[in-house]
Amino acid sequence: MTEHGRYDAIVAGAGHNGLTTACYLQKAGLKTLVVERNDWIGGAAVSRSLMPGWTYSNCSYVCSLLRREIVRDLDLPRFGLQVIPYEGGASFTRDGANFGYHADPAQLRRELRRHSPRDADAYRRYRQTVLRQCRFIRPFLLRPAADPTSMKPRDLGELAFLLKRIHGLGPRELGETLRFWTISIGDFLDEHFETDLIKAHLAGSGIIGTGLGVYSPGTAYVLLHHYMGDVDGAIGAWGFARGGMGAISNALAAAFEEAGGTIRTGAGVEQFLVRDGAVAGVALGDGAEFRAPIVASNMDVRRTILKHTPREALPDDYRRAVERFRIRGSSAKLNIALDALPRFPAAPEGARFLRGDLHCSESLLELERAYDDWKRGRWSKEPYFDMLIPSQIDPTMAPPGRHMMTVFVQYAPYDLEAGGTRSGTNWTAERRQAMAETVLDKIEVACPDIRRHIVHMEVRSPKELEDEVGLTGGNIFQGELTFDQLLFNRPVPGYARHDTPVKGLYIVGSSTHPGGGVMAAPGANAAREILTRAGRGRAMPDLAA
Amino acid sequence: MSRAFDAIVIGGGHNGLVAAAGLARAGRAVCVLERRDEIGGMAAEGAFSDGTPKPRMAHLLYNLSPAVLADLDHDRKALFETRALPTVCLDPEGGHVVVAEGRPHFADGAPHPEAGPYHALVSRLARFGAILARLAEAPPPQLAQGMTDLQGLRRLGTLGALGWDFRRIGRDEAREFLRIVLSNAHDVILDEIADGPLAGALAADAVRGAWAGPRSPGTVFSLMYRYARGGGAALPMGGMGAFCAGLAARARVLGAEIRTGAEAAAVLVEGDRVRGVRLADGSEIAAGCVLVAAGPMTAMRLAGPAQFDIEAVRRLRALRAKGTVAKVNLRLRDLPEMPGLTAGQMAGRLVLAPSVARVERAFDPVKYGEMSEDPVIEAVIPSLTDPSAAPKGGHVLSAIVQYVPHAPRGGWTQAGRDRLLATTLAALDRVAPGLSDRVAEAEVLTTADIEALTGAPGGHWHHAEMSLDQLLAVRPVNGLARYRFGPAGYYLCGAGAHPGGDVMGSAGRNAAAVALADGVAA
Repeated sequence: MTEHGRYDAIVAGAGHNGLTTACYLQKAGLKTLVVERNDWIGGAAVSRSLMPGWTYSNCSYVCSLLRREIVRDLDLPRFGLQVIPYEGGASFTRDGANFGYHADPAQLRRELRRHSPRDADAYRRYRQTVLRQCRFIRPFLLRPAADPTSMKPRDLGELAFLLKRIHGLGPRELGETLRFWTISIGDFLDEHFETDLIKAHLAGSGIIGTGLGVYSPGTAYVLLHHYMGDVDGAIGAWGFARGGMGAISNALAAAFEEAGGTIRTGAGVEQFLVRDGAVAGVALGDGAEFRAPIVASNMDVRRTILKHTPREALPDDYRRAVERFRIRGSSAKLNIALDALPRFPAAPEGARFLRGDLHCSESLLELERAYDDWKRGRWSKEPYFDMLIPSQIDPTMAPPGRHMMTVFVQYAPYDLEAGGTRSGTNWTAERRQAMAETVLDKIEVACPDIRRHIVHMEVRSPKELEDEVGLTGGNIFQGELTFDQLLFNRPVPGYARHDTPVKGLYIVGSSTHPGGGVMAAPGANAAREILTRAGRGRAMPDLAA
Repeated sequence: MSRAFDAIVIGGGHNGLVAAAGLARAGRAVCVLERRDEIGGMAAEGAFSDGTPKPRMAHLLYNLSPAVLADLDHDRKALFETRALPTVCLDPEGGHVVVAEGRPHFADGAPHPEAGPYHALVSRLARFGAILARLAEAPPPQLAQGMTDLQGLRRLGTLGALGWDFRRIGRDEAREFLRIVLSNAHDVILDEIADGPLAGALAADAVRGAWAGPRSPGTVFSLMYRYARGGGAALPMGGMGAFCAGLAARARVLGAEIRTGAEAAAVLVEGDRVRGVRLADGSEIAAGCVLVAAGPMTAMRLAGPAQFDIEAVRRLRALRAKGTVAKVNLRLRDLPEMPGLTAGQMAGRLVLAPSVARVERAFDPVKYGEMSEDPVIEAVIPSLTDPSAAPKGGHVLSAIVQYVPHAPRGGWTQAGRDRLLATTLAALDRVAPGLSDRVAEAEVLTTADIEALTGAPGGHWHHAEMSLDQLLAVRPVNGLARYRFGPAGYYLCGAGAHPGGDVMGSAGRNAAAVALADGVAA
């Protein structure tokens, strides 16, 4: 028997953005249904137990960008969300050297001076610049992106806000801002620092998730996507969600259900139903159909439009613009269950900075070479990785004495080159394993006994990310964060307000402004837009205030 | 002190000459100081050992500003004569494509399947480029200063004109402009046409002279600049020397004095004002205004870092100028055949960039201080168009070879030069079999040689990388972007200033206009 039903709004996909949109719609009085293809919720903000006793944040793995305005407004801590800051970070080299990125400022300064007194001074300037840029951009995250080509009063208002902020910068600071937005992270770091290891340590945030190298213009801006968050008000700090990233989705889901919303898992949207140019509902993979005049898709724009929306409902130029939307995957993931904490011989026993992000990249050129491999359709021979052991801070992640390790790996192409073809289907189990061995070889630089401690390892190429989570191409940001796909250009010019040519169909995931990272800002922005258009704008709290 | 001038221009490259002509035209007494014995800088002419002329570095005009020509107040033909050259996209597999007036066809006359989309793409780039060209003809706009004074209003005027351009092209086109202007050439080109020699040649145009591959964001911006006037290339008859001589002659007619073999050693500053120039021979020339067409760092050193605030010095030190282009000039005993091309087609602008992917691949090694094994080449055989280019018979082939590192590990050695020549000849041999056997004389100019010859920092063709973070309001660096350079009366007028490189002349023209508006050159 097929299931039917009517709702005021349907959200396709129970990722953190979809759930955020759903929360606000439900709280505004719209009877809202969330449908999710997988048997579990969370999308890429998920905790799963693939090995009894261990919890894996098996996609996104750290938390900071989640807008605190939303956390507060939805009262997520009441639903179990707890973010624990982590305690530094470190980079290790093959010849036994290391750089400890201490959380304590005085300790960090000593460590920087140990490598180079000049770099210790430069770090202050660097940090000030990055924080200034964060402060400049943060007010824009929970507002619609100003569209300079629009003459609508609402857009002109946003444009005026933008121009006022720009004017407020003054010419000198504006120049610096223009530079920061367009320079490469490599050049930016070269301007400040002389020590390769320090530069390599700081560069990762500029390339994580992108199809760009450290010397590609625009990567300094990507850095902001990893810095503009905060943990307990400490801007740029990072933390673990207690119980894994799924805690975020679970808290959102709990808030949604408490407000009266319904979540249905196990069948995703097969087709968005369209009648007379307006959305009518969704048809699911299991044959169920639900009706609603408002449908919000948490899937990326490519998947939403090209796979699940009837072709005849879309103008050709819009479809083409969506086809051109870049969404190339570049990262892979290893999730490892360990029977004990591995040794880091280069670090002092019990060093606190080990409870943070660990790296083994030694120079910017090494990172750039890793990117060159990706361009050629191969995984990096010397990959960059961002490695953490959250169970050191959050004991719920592994059985007592055991540990859980998450390794974000870059670069890995979606379209893997093999035998003269480039395709996602080239990611066979053997090749995945070969990639994992490459990564493990490099992890041994930091902890030589890592292989002995592995109880279980999950290897995820961009192909698995696409297959399981639905991220096209395995791109973690649901679309590259390049100039041509940011702000009013995201996801496509003329449709930056989450809307589509199909009336009532909205896109609410990271494909939309302000983009990826577990921010929940796109979901909240989309909710505001949907409610405004439905004449219920007042029901949306003013998060930007 | 010798006779006083109103203004001194340091550097007799084309920007220096244009600046001098602009000041002279306004009735100022101007003196141009050129360190070398011949004028022209990057656009200078050289000669092989038998006297055959060679275009030393730049060999074609792509983008000479019409405003510059109009300002020289002269019928262009009398200054110098040019011939428009078609672009020939070379294909080592033999499927060469000829592009004239933005319309491609195969060299054998067969229609090109992508002629339509290609034409639409370059037409769009030209339309968008025209908007950028408007920006190039004036000092860069400033957003952060309001209508507090007359200058502020004038600046807003430029922005207003820009806004008008936007309205005129329509909302959809404006959106497309805003989408692609900061994008990368790889994506924008391959969205429209399939990868191959035609796409490769466009990609090569987007990155010529740049420390960037087609995948680097910002390369569409330079491609738009390049195609602002249709993307054509023109060969100056009589060589680049005739072009420079034309500019110099015009400057002289207008009253400028041009001294060659006169090296500026220091710019003299009193208080916070410029008062003249000291030459390497110890003599001094007084002037209340000095324009310098050298690289930004050189310009700073001439006046002394003490004249600049510490932030400006720090920013200038961080300015990126990593040249990636080498020049290979060949004197040929006779001309080899290029299978698939007629003699007429061989006279075109020959671009060896078989695909966008290969242009990107050619860029990769320079990031690590190595040179491309499979370089991108733009070659021209001027002697096929201009009989005066090889008066003693034979032919001249001038090749821009990309990519080479600006600072290879251990520096440029003779072995490195030999390898560069061999690599270049091997690449050319693939499209012109037997070419290397016909070489009577070869000149190889590495980035280091170009720097030594012209003073261009890092041997960079545009004096500073034309990446987005070094363009417009932040070119060469934030705070020094509007030609005024440190002490009062001191101006940067070379390619390091807005709008940047290429033989455009706009930097020289704009700088002279700012100096005149400041009233210091009186």
